[in-house]
Amino acid sequence: MGVDPASARRPKLGGVAGPLAPTRSPETVVEVDADLDRPWVTIVWDDPVNLMTYVTYVFQELFGYDEAKATELMLQVHQEGRAIVSSGPRERMEHDTSRLHAYGLWASYQKDT
Amino acid sequence: MKPFRRRGDSYVARLDPAEAGIVGLLLDQLEQLLSGEDEDVEGDEVLARLLPEGHRGDPHLAADYRELTRDSLVAGKSDDLAAVRATLPPDGGTLHLDADQAGAWLRTTNDLRLALGTRLGISADTEPPAELVSETDQQLAVYYWLTAVQGSLVDSLAAGRAARR
Repeated sequence: MGVDPASARRPKLGGVAGPLAPTRSPETVVEVDADLDRPWVTIVWDDPVNLMTYVTYVFQELFGYDEAKATELMLQVHQEGRAIVSSGPRERMEHDTSRLHAYGLWASYQKDT
Repeated sequence: MKPFRRRGDSYVARLDPAEAGIVGLLLDQLEQLLSGEDEDVEGDEVLARLLPEGHRGDPHLAADYRELTRDSLVAGKSDDLAAVRATLPPDGGTLHLDADQAGAWLRTTNDLRLALGTRLGISADTEPPAELVSETDQQLAVYYWLTAVQGSLVDSLAAGRAARR
């Protein structure tokens, strides 16, 4: 399933979605702050084996999403090829990725772009 | 096979003797693969799917992730596998699983499907075999049988969770 990463929607998860607004101060180097503040994300990629019901179940189990939210993310994976399922500091995204790998989902983490 | 269903706090299914035998063989293969004894190229492909890269594009981060998580992921999969083996009636019969055992079956049947699916090159367009002529047809049939087993377990577990709310 091909997907243009730029067109992938970014759901708001846990109140952290995208870069925080840089502080408006003349002394601040905005570029550096924006880079430090940019959260990391965990991405689940589409694969032809995992059942849709299974993926939905795992999202609920691992992230505590309700069925509607978990289903929406599962459909995004299925239709767009990938979905961001959590965001935050790098260590937590590593941990989330490994929890998804324990369930056999095709996941990776990266700095949000 | 009688698919999984929820009965109170447990999850129940029934396997024919031949089906229990196939699951046992698949568990042996998976165990070999996880222990690193299976060194063919196909085995590498399957392992790459069971234990994927954590980070794409940055080899250092990918290596960090591997070092950090690989042992515990393999240990978790091995524990699940052992739990499945311990609850599998070797000559077929009824399975009675508590919630933890059901979780182990859920993840292990998924690993078995990922392993078979990778070896068979399953894609979104793959369909169940119309008749069982070749070796590949047989393996496809096993893959779809496992899909039915796992699908019924997911549905039962989801129903169990909904009932607890």
